[in-house]
Amino acid sequence: MGTVIEVEDLRYTYMENTPLAHQALAGVQLSVEEGECVAIIGHTGSGKSTLIQHFNGLLRPQQGRVRVDGQDLSDPGLDLKGLRRKVGLVFQNPEDQLFEKWVGDDVAFGPLKMGLPLKEVRDRVRWAMEMAGLSFEAMKDRPTYALSGGQKRKVALAGVLALRPKVLVLDEPTAGLDPRSRKELLGRIEGFNRREKMTVIFVSHNMEEVACLADRIFVMAAGQIVAQGTPREIFGSREVLLQHRIGAPETVEILYRIQGLGYPVDVGAYELDSAAAEIVSILRPQGVKSHGPGI
Amino acid sequence: MAREFELTRNITVGQYLPTGSFVHRLDPRIKLLACGILILAIAFCNSYGGNLIVLAFSCLLFRLSRIPLRYGLSGVKPAIPFIVILAVLQLLFYGDIASGGRVYLEYGLIVITSDSLRLVIVSALRFIEIIFVSSVLTLSTSTTQLTHGMESLLKPLGYLKFPVHEFSLIMTIALRFVPTFAMEMEKMIKAQASRGAEFGTGSWWHIFRRTKEMLPIIVPLFRVAMERAEDLILAMEARCYTPGGTRSRFRTYQTTFRDGLTLLFILCFSLLLWMYPFPY
Amino acid sequence: MKEPLIRMEGVSFDYRLNSEEVVRVLRDVSLDIYLGEYVAIIGHNGSGKSTLAKHFNGILKPTEGNVYVAGFNTKDDRYRREIRRRVGMVFQHPDNQIVATIVEDDVAFGLENIGVPPREMRKRIDAALEAVGMSSYRNRPPHHLSGGQKQRVAIAGVLAMEPRCLVLDEATSMLDAHGRREILQVLRRLHQRGMTIIAVSHHMSEAAEADRVLVIEAGRIAMEGPPREIFQRQELLRRLQLDIPVATRLAGRIHERVPDFQPDLIHPREIVDEVVRIAGKKGAAG
Repeated sequence: MGTVIEVEDLRYTYMENTPLAHQALAGVQLSVEEGECVAIIGHTGSGKSTLIQHFNGLLRPQQGRVRVDGQDLSDPGLDLKGLRRKVGLVFQNPEDQLFEKWVGDDVAFGPLKMGLPLKEVRDRVRWAMEMAGLSFEAMKDRPTYALSGGQKRKVALAGVLALRPKVLVLDEPTAGLDPRSRKELLGRIEGFNRREKMTVIFVSHNMEEVACLADRIFVMAAGQIVAQGTPREIFGSREVLLQHRIGAPETVEILYRIQGLGYPVDVGAYELDSAAAEIVSILRPQGVKSHGPGI
Repeated sequence: MAREFELTRNITVGQYLPTGSFVHRLDPRIKLLACGILILAIAFCNSYGGNLIVLAFSCLLFRLSRIPLRYGLSGVKPAIPFIVILAVLQLLFYGDIASGGRVYLEYGLIVITSDSLRLVIVSALRFIEIIFVSSVLTLSTSTTQLTHGMESLLKPLGYLKFPVHEFSLIMTIALRFVPTFAMEMEKMIKAQASRGAEFGTGSWWHIFRRTKEMLPIIVPLFRVAMERAEDLILAMEARCYTPGGTRSRFRTYQTTFRDGLTLLFILCFSLLLWMYPFPY
Repeated sequence: MKEPLIRMEGVSFDYRLNSEEVVRVLRDVSLDIYLGEYVAIIGHNGSGKSTLAKHFNGILKPTEGNVYVAGFNTKDDRYRREIRRRVGMVFQHPDNQIVATIVEDDVAFGLENIGVPPREMRKRIDAALEAVGMSSYRNRPPHHLSGGQKQRVAIAGVLAMEPRCLVLDEATSMLDAHGRREILQVLRRLHQRGMTIIAVSHHMSEAAEADRVLVIEAGRIAMEGPPREIFQRQELLRRLQLDIPVATRLAGRIHERVPDFQPDLIHPREIVDEVVRIAGKKGAAG
């Protein structure tokens, strides 16, 4: 398992040399290992979108370095098409980008552009659709305009999966979805990461989602990475949460409040059962069979 | 949020630059009328003398509205190819048609006379002057003021059953959505490029191919536009909008003595320009 | 008993798919909304909640049954304006509700439509912008605003018309957590000042704010009651593919091991309060 994405002192300014110049990235440093599932969190304007657009070459580094799978993205001879096959970027509300009439055609767009033979395109479309949760046979000939929002999003996702990327980058993947669709999508993303061994990088504002999916979290503010660690490390550190005004999963918020009142709880226990166990442990102290309030 | 999109930062619809000058505070209807009158006067101005005066006047306008001249110049920049092409065409072909003045050059079919030379220079100057005057208008008047001013001026057409308010509303909504659509388009280009779409491959004559390449952009944007329109209709109806219904106006402009004086001055200036027999 | 502001009697609604097919989206729905209530209507996508919302101000008319707003029947086009002046609606897409080039002008739009005199307009616009906290943005163009800010402007545009009731049709679906909080804060303030609020959503945090929750499933009202009661029906909610607030789930788990712990909590602070109640103050828990 090697490092698949490496970012060194990356800086980027929009509209350089004009009175409207805005520095979006002010020296970002990070690395992502192959097979990891990584979350990038931070307020609007912290530079998250700008950062992820570097991963597939939409933006080129102005200063600093970005290496994807060993390849330096500042290299003038960079094969953009090849890069975009390796790193699949799914924007927010991707259902907007469907343009073909039939579902199958839209998913096939990417592989066809890659110049693959028809048979392979068909195999990839089948695989991608099943991965995204759409039945190939039932859905491939459905018109795209007759789908629900959730289904359209799956088609868009399949369209990127069909490129068989090594790294999947998702910007707010569950934005706007209802609870059921959100749960399902998160489950699938977990599948891409654990079963298909895709490296997953996702941006999110939903802390529950971040806590549940991510192996590691990067916190961004004002164009820099200001904190990184496992969910436990990040949510368990009061200083980090307060200093960067990061929200936390509700369970963590509750534990912090209880801790603030003087009770000994492990605030890093962000999962529902662990949080419940922490609270139970202060209501029923060890070894006492309680028939009522803790004695 | 608008920061993250490169292209769209350049979109400043109408390029309003608030400096609080006296020109900014004029009634937008007066400015629109004044601009129209000036442009007409410029169109009929054929002399060197007249054009120099107008050019000086338009630079003065920039000064009066406290807008740096470079904004006017950057408005001229995209027009330069057209000015040059026009100049070349006039130089090559005019001299033959209306022969007048001294002949400077004769080379086969190409004749350059003092008249044709004057036409070339004056045309270029008029182009620039018109751009300057319109720039001062858009730089000193916000889009809101412009649309309201235009609606007000067009009101008399209402008596001819012309749907003045609907027309004005269409313009307002269009202007309001230009930046939004620009951001949408940029996002669409990036999203499709991320899955392998390419734009602009092949030379300009490969029209078919280039159009086909734009489909992943055009089709979704069109669909989104239709959805927006449907949503807007619902939202407008929920707020009691009825096309052709009677309505009140939030923004009203009072023409002051200052506005009237300005308009009078512009009128006199234009008349003088038109009538004065400039020697050159 | 006082008269309800909105009364729905036996309402069914058929959606026409094409020339042959028709789909029944609402089935025999009856409900009353009273002045000053804060009602949440929750359901998963496809349950009919949006269709139901659009009946409250006459955008959709029932195929069967009747809807009365302040006594006016929504089927009667003569009263359309009266109905929409009393019941205002805010929709899902923040961008697709703003028509003007600057905030102030958009808030004025509704007032122009109903012919409010200019001097009165100024007062109402100021009040509406103040109520949503957007007074300092009055001259900004919409594309400089965040999603939450745009929705606040949309709400202001409706508030200026001084309705009795505000219906929010999935108004927070496209917002991030921060934007959603902004809107909920605005709604809370408005409700305190007496506004009737109907919030259609699939977000549990919004349902927790309401006095009364209606759960919609397959075009029918499946459950009705105060949020505390509704969230206890965890099995049913799960079956309807709806979320349960984290606080409720947590309280449930704790209750399994500590029977004295109240299971019907819905806010995080209630959990903390309950812990304090049972364990006593700091130090008392051994």
